[in-house]
Amino acid sequence: MLNYLLRRVALAAVVGIAAGLLVATFFIIHLVPGDPVRIVLAGRATPATIARVHHQLALDRPLWTQFSLYVSHTMRGNFGTSFTLDSPVAQIIGQRLGPSAALIGYGMLLSLLIGVPLAIVAALRPNSWLDNVVRLGTTLTFALPGFWLGLMLALVFGLKLRWLPVSGYSPGVVGILRTLTLPALALGLALAGVVVRTLRSSLLEVLQSEHIEATRSRGFSELRVVGKHAMRNSAMNTLTILSVNIGFLIGGTVVLEQVFQIPGLGSLLVGAVEKRDYQLVQALTLLAGAAVVLASLATDVVQALLDPRVKLDGR
Amino acid sequence: MQFTGGRMRKTGAILISGVSIVLLLTVWGSVGRSARTPLNSSADLASSAACSTAPVRGGNLVYERQAAAETLDPLNPLNGNGDIFAYNLAYSGLVRSDPTGRTNKIVPSLADRWTISRDGKTYTFHLRPGIKFSNGQPVTAEDVAWTLNRFGNPKINAIMAAVAGGFGTATVVDTSTVRVQLKKPVAAFLYNISIWPAFVMPKNLVEKQGKAFFKHPVGSGPFMVKSFVKGSYITFARNPHYWEAGKPYLNSVRFNFVGDSNTRILALRAGNAQDIDVVPFSQVKSLRADKNVVVQTAKVPLFLGLWLNHLRAPLADLNVRKALQHAIDRTLINQQIFAGLGQIPNSVLMGFSMDAPASVVKPYSYDVATAKALMARSKFPKGFSTTLLYPAGSDFYRQLGLALQQEFGAIGINVKLIEQDTATVTNAWFTRKFDMVFPFASFTSDLTVPDEYADFLANWDNGFHGFESSWRDPAVQKKVLQFETTRSDSARAKQWVQIQQTLMNLTPVINVLKLPFIDAHAANVCGTHLDGLGSDHLEDTWFAG
Repeated sequence: MLNYLLRRVALAAVVGIAAGLLVATFFIIHLVPGDPVRIVLAGRATPATIARVHHQLALDRPLWTQFSLYVSHTMRGNFGTSFTLDSPVAQIIGQRLGPSAALIGYGMLLSLLIGVPLAIVAALRPNSWLDNVVRLGTTLTFALPGFWLGLMLALVFGLKLRWLPVSGYSPGVVGILRTLTLPALALGLALAGVVVRTLRSSLLEVLQSEHIEATRSRGFSELRVVGKHAMRNSAMNTLTILSVNIGFLIGGTVVLEQVFQIPGLGSLLVGAVEKRDYQLVQALTLLAGAAVVLASLATDVVQALLDPRVKLDGR
Repeated sequence: MQFTGGRMRKTGAILISGVSIVLLLTVWGSVGRSARTPLNSSADLASSAACSTAPVRGGNLVYERQAAAETLDPLNPLNGNGDIFAYNLAYSGLVRSDPTGRTNKIVPSLADRWTISRDGKTYTFHLRPGIKFSNGQPVTAEDVAWTLNRFGNPKINAIMAAVAGGFGTATVVDTSTVRVQLKKPVAAFLYNISIWPAFVMPKNLVEKQGKAFFKHPVGSGPFMVKSFVKGSYITFARNPHYWEAGKPYLNSVRFNFVGDSNTRILALRAGNAQDIDVVPFSQVKSLRADKNVVVQTAKVPLFLGLWLNHLRAPLADLNVRKALQHAIDRTLINQQIFAGLGQIPNSVLMGFSMDAPASVVKPYSYDVATAKALMARSKFPKGFSTTLLYPAGSDFYRQLGLALQQEFGAIGINVKLIEQDTATVTNAWFTRKFDMVFPFASFTSDLTVPDEYADFLANWDNGFHGFESSWRDPAVQKKVLQFETTRSDSARAKQWVQIQQTLMNLTPVINVLKLPFIDAHAANVCGTHLDGLGSDHLEDTWFAG
């Protein structure tokens, strides 16, 4: 087990983070046209002023020099200062992390609360009208653009029914329930489609297996057969799919935080890209990339704990 | 005539979804439709029937704004109007634009009077007695002189150095008098110091705290900053020491920064916010139909500036540029895209308070025959191909691009539309790598008088390369420099008419349409005024009932 873990950690760290993320996060934003200094100083600053600020930010140095500075600073945990927000990047991210984490966690929870029962219902009556309705409905919510779904939820539950605010964010459990329910629902509905499809097909496969037939022959109720035996075997694929979709969730927050005015990392990233705030974009994309890698690693660990075959393979 | 065709880069899905939202909001808004309210000036529409009583003290206003405040240091604005509107609440200057928006005059603020020497180079300001900062400490002549000297120092006031041109020194005469000595007459000096770079700061606190001061700043505006989360919100409380007796009426103001216009409108209609800015033209009609909402417009120096690159041979040809002007059907564009709220310009720059009326300087008429004749006389009688670059994410540039593509196509100019994110577009403009471009999502002047932008465009020596158009005309430059230093208002008015007409004749750039600022607020919000620059300082705002 320890050996397996170490191998995975080493692989993720060396290949995923050090090589891929650093290069990608730096060059993607630097190769996009645009100059943060000119954007911030707008049309009024003189060429001399622009040159002076370029020098202060080391933007007048060759790209490879800037990259080596970025790598050395990042390795020491120094993400620099945001030029457009005039504050340390780590401090800005620290302020914005909470709302995004809450939105992702809440969205994932809602996707499971919606997706798992629907998947079970669909799997127990395959190709019935109920199964078709579930599949069609979840495909629809998955296909709808997040901002459109979010706005429709805000129109219905915020403007028409006045149950929840149409935008904004409040911390604390009550505040989160009040302000993040609509965006989390928009996120969860989209992800529920993935959960339903994956879990339904896994359940169908497992429910036809011999050990389930054996369980049924012992006279257990269908609820116990599905809930205790089939779900344990089917959950693995769903877990893997959810971890793969962490990127989808992070991407979803970028749009939904804009629509619902949530002061999270997604809306921060949009503003940073618009202004070519290199330091901030690099740190945020690095963080998002690391989150995906770590989620994948965590999934492997959970799988190893749940599935003895993974443990055996690791030896 | 319909605007059709064109090669666009965005996906159809986003367009369809956007249209659906607009339709849905329109349908929703049509419930309870009331009589259409004509749109006039901000002062006419600022109040509804509920506001006919005397102002009432109290209430907390939530104002959802498109642009976020990112710094509270007026000498270091990082996000245009997002920062500037927050400065306007927290700080005051010696003078200010008429806050009611009824005139474009400069009126007293911290200084209650001033004198100007005969040569126009010495200004003496007399401070209002008993004025204080929000922490209760007096605003002194030393604070004022120190602030103005920072304003005049291009190393400190680097971003807005253009409005500090000609500044010499500010000195303390006595405890309530400050004298400013200019290096040369600056006709727009009072306008220049009415805006944020000259807002008065407490010298002792800024010097002691440095950059940390601007995290919890102390000013002399109607409100004081309570909390500020960058990119998210800023809250203000009433300044108990504000110099206008009895004002402001509101207990507090909260600016929520909401980039998405649909979200702002939803918040207003749901009652989560009582005031919003930048209402899209496409949604003005549905908002006006809502009896709980008042739509407010303001004439400001905002325009659709189509920049032409004179390094491109066809666009350096005067006949071509005039042909372009005549090929634009501004009336149609105004009606179809801007809900009829725009104004047909008689200047190549944004609308200024000194502009001559259309009866004196005539707008370009929509005349395809004349445009074709001008093309025939040009060096490009068979037409040419060019590109039009514009920012993505706007609710009108795409439609406008399609309209211009069709209209320019009618006189033989084949236009390829290029939609890019704002940063890329602005960068192309700065580096002069464009043919035709709308360089900014919103293109406004910092002053209501033309001095700043006339200089940007015509004064080649300022380093802006004809404001990145690469256009140069020494004769116009000479006239503009003379205009900037002329002391007499009447003489300046005559000079400006000549410059305005000359610029129209030479058309180095094109003003497609003058546009207003459009805000909306709940019907029980009273006393909302947008000044000549479209800013509401909220000192007169109160809640009815």
